[in-house]
Amino acid sequence: MGFEFSVITESLPALLGGAKLTWIITILGIVGGMICGILAGLGRIAGTEALGEEPHGIFKPLSVVIRYISGGYVETIRGTPIIVQAMFLYFAFPMLVKAVTDIERFRIEALTAAVITIIFNAGAYIAEIVRGSVISVNKGLLEAGMSLGISRLQLIVHVIGPIAFRRMIPPLGNQFIISLKDTSLFIVIGVGELTRQGQEIMASNFRALEIWLTVAVMYLMMTTVLAMSLRHIERKMKIF
Amino acid sequence: MSSIIELKNVCKSFGDTEVLHNIDLSIQEGEVIVVIGPSGSGKSTLIRCINCLELISSGELIVDSIKIPDERGRIRQIRLEVGMVFQQFNLFPHMTAVENVAFGPSKARKMNKSKATDIARDLLDKVGLAEFENKFPGQLSGGQQQRVAIARALAVNPKVLLFDEPTSALDPEMIGEVLDVMKSIAKDSGMTMVVVTHEMGFAAQVGDRLIFMDDGWIVEEGKPAEVMKKPKSERLKDFLGHVKHH
Repeated sequence: MGFEFSVITESLPALLGGAKLTWIITILGIVGGMICGILAGLGRIAGTEALGEEPHGIFKPLSVVIRYISGGYVETIRGTPIIVQAMFLYFAFPMLVKAVTDIERFRIEALTAAVITIIFNAGAYIAEIVRGSVISVNKGLLEAGMSLGISRLQLIVHVIGPIAFRRMIPPLGNQFIISLKDTSLFIVIGVGELTRQGQEIMASNFRALEIWLTVAVMYLMMTTVLAMSLRHIERKMKIF
Repeated sequence: MSSIIELKNVCKSFGDTEVLHNIDLSIQEGEVIVVIGPSGSGKSTLIRCINCLELISSGELIVDSIKIPDERGRIRQIRLEVGMVFQQFNLFPHMTAVENVAFGPSKARKMNKSKATDIARDLLDKVGLAEFENKFPGQLSGGQQQRVAIARALAVNPKVLLFDEPTSALDPEMIGEVLDVMKSIAKDSGMTMVVVTHEMGFAAQVGDRLIFMDDGWIVEEGKPAEVMKKPKSERLKDFLGHVKHH
């Protein structure tokens, strides 16, 4: 049994189908994860001097609540394996719904569960990337903005945001690539992504070398696209 | 003339440490106040209290008839009328010189962009940096950056300008260009200015009043020439012996 190129060409359509699904889960996951991560990352430093000045009145206790909720979310997600999160959402969550409500036939599609898992999982790590970048912005720049009389929202959008975002790009690249590779774990809830397609073909023809080599190259091509896109953004945002 | 800034029995503490003690100060419109004193004497804290970058711990602050702490919700209005220039310039690194200057009028004063840019170009011209409008802060010298920062503070059209050691981070050969800009603002526009500095020459030339602070107290104040020539306290005599004369 030598190396057979025909094995690759024959399995290519199925593998490409799997790669497409991997790509869809990843893109939806990191877009949602960015939204989730920015909210939770800013939430963890709500009401602190990293976002301008400390609030007063009702906003003070409110910011404490927001900090606790965001912190609880980040620590819970970071502290549990993603494969457990996926299985919880797919198998256990419908049972939980059934137990506390009257809904009998509540089900989550495997693909939906996969996307949601990536969103919440990536979101927790991105939250820490956002928090780290924001607290690294020189406090003097915040004071310069505040002394002009702009609002807190303007300060976040026009001053903190652009400066922090550029610092986020390298660690975001890490997280995007990790999230893409994490989609291979959804083999356990039966999502037909790339790794599962490879596994299924392999189980029928036992050509491990050709199949896993092809699968590996496909992952490498997708992660390269992610890495290069981020490099492109980084170059475009060059600050003198 | 009416007073535009008034501090009544103001104290400021950081934790258990009180850094400003019972400050009473009234500043008239158009007045140029120079604040001197050794480091840690509370002079920076004093001017940072005026635009509420530090909130006073007790007493009352009145700026342009807005009362702090009673009207804490109107801090932004105070800041629109009180511009600030920092020791470290603090220009926004992701904006060009003209964008830095136009930022205040377009965001804080909600002016349309082209009008804000016109104002910014005008001010950059005034501080002698017209040809640098498309440079980023990182491409400018310290003196040029500080002049952009002064233009940025002026662009919001404030009634008062605060300067927190504006020349202390500069190379000696760049101090002059920044002081010249400050002098021309003081003379031409009649701007109310509060300047924390060690530049005694500047104090003597354009200051209406000199305030000497030590350990959180206002120790002496008066006409700059008189205070410098005849210091009453030992602390001021000692301090004046240590500062350079430009």
